[in-house]
Amino acid sequence: MREALGADPPGLLERLRAGDARAFEELVIAYQHRVFGVALRMLGSRAEAEEIAQEVFLRAYRAIGEFRGEARLGTWLYGIASRLCLNRLASPDRRLARGDEALADVAAPTPDAAIAAERAELDAALRAAIAGLPEDRRLVLVLRDVEGLSYEEIAETLAIDPGTVRSRLHRARLQLKEKLERFA
Amino acid sequence: MTCTETRDLFSVLADDALTPAERAALDAHLAGCADCRRELVAFGRTVALVRAIDPAHAPAGFVDRVLAAARPEPWPRWLARRLSAPWPTLPLGAAALLLIAGLAVLLFRASPEQQQTARDQSAPPGPAAPAPSRETAPSGVSDSREADASRDAGASATATREVAPAAPPAARAPEPPARAGDVEVAKNRLEQAAPATKSAETSVEPTTPARDAPPAEPRAMTDRQSVAPSTALEGRRANGDSIATDTAKASRLRQDAAPLSRTGPMTGILAAPPDVTAQLRAADVSVAERSLIELAGRLGGRQTGRRIDGGRVVVELAVPREAYAQFVREATALGPLSLEQQTTDRLLLSVAVTVSN
Repeated sequence: MREALGADPPGLLERLRAGDARAFEELVIAYQHRVFGVALRMLGSRAEAEEIAQEVFLRAYRAIGEFRGEARLGTWLYGIASRLCLNRLASPDRRLARGDEALADVAAPTPDAAIAAERAELDAALRAAIAGLPEDRRLVLVLRDVEGLSYEEIAETLAIDPGTVRSRLHRARLQLKEKLERFA
Repeated sequence: MTCTETRDLFSVLADDALTPAERAALDAHLAGCADCRRELVAFGRTVALVRAIDPAHAPAGFVDRVLAAARPEPWPRWLARRLSAPWPTLPLGAAALLLIAGLAVLLFRASPEQQQTARDQSAPPGPAAPAPSRETAPSGVSDSREADASRDAGASATATREVAPAAPPAARAPEPPARAGDVEVAKNRLEQAAPATKSAETSVEPTTPARDAPPAEPRAMTDRQSVAPSTALEGRRANGDSIATDTAKASRLRQDAAPLSRTGPMTGILAAPPDVTAQLRAADVSVAERSLIELAGRLGGRQTGRRIDGGRVVVELAVPREAYAQFVREATALGPLSLEQQTTDRLLLSVAVTVSN
């Protein structure tokens, strides 16, 4: 799980609004992995995730003037990323054969072949189980258990109330548990 | 508390967000219910599995690609892309320019009338003057506007304008060496849109481009922003090129240029003293240099410059603060490394590494 989101880098928002040449670059550097991460886990393809992640930052670049600072920059970017991912997933022309790469880097390499094989099987099952979750639950699960956001941050990101976050997350985890039962 | 109520709290328990009252009720139920205890173990294992997934890292070069896509494409780069479109690489495009210039010289020599005209014209150039002067204009203003105008006008109009200076030779210095110089300038501009390119390239001292750069940078940035970024993007999409292709080409173009001449955000880094000064000793300097650049790229940063200082190579890198510790760990593996760090709150650290053997 990623480290906590934390507060915005001090002064970054003000510098972004003032058109500081380096502020946008710093924004991309600071949040590139998070934005790419949520897109990768939702879409399953590195190429598609990069495309969406780029679009997230381009939208942020264009819309920074309208950003009122009610949310943090981090949750704002996660929010744009989440919407773009859900839109992409809902688009009819999206190919179905995606998802193989989503968790490709889950497993740490292990020297023991038997353990590695077992681990690979578990990873495949985990990958399939996550990919099989309904998208709104998958998004909350990814934001919480992979990206490390708190309930409040997820609520802010997705503009839903914390109770909804809690119930979606719980259903997602229960569903995963059932699918992974045989590995218990 | 029932089993269902208990199990509904497992998620909140996993996130350590139970109220003391909930916690007490849960513990009381679990103490007397083996089924729920088993369920809790399985639930906890599932959550742990998901949390063990490594956070993804954006691919190397991602930041550069975003920055390239966010800013309107400067017209020389746009022209370079146009010229190189039928061919796979830029050098062929540049070769085409050379060929055109060469032909112009031949035509000029073959035409006594034109030579006579040239002798008559001791005054500054006439009709072709605006184009060359635009080429050397240091301001970002005209460049940005030209970029839009060029895009609107379409390929043929721009091509005509760019080739024009070579076609009526009388307007320009007629000697072949001067012609070659022009082509060189044009080639440089194809590779780089930076207003301060020339001064940066010719200097090996970091302070010189740094002094030159700051006045140009804020203006250029403002101008780039004043042009709606969406226009550039949509325009390029309309051209049928994907962003990925464009940015790949753009980064190839940048790689062709001397590192010190890189534009945009680079200039800001050069303008400031490095946050970290490091000395790396390595058996093979060029291998160590390449490894450092590759390392910075892999960690979400990149090379910002290169110079020779007292016969030793100094590689200038931008390294994200969050990846700095990792950078030091991996750089140490390349050879003995000594570091001198300054306190800074910048997210992107400027690191100058002197490599020697």
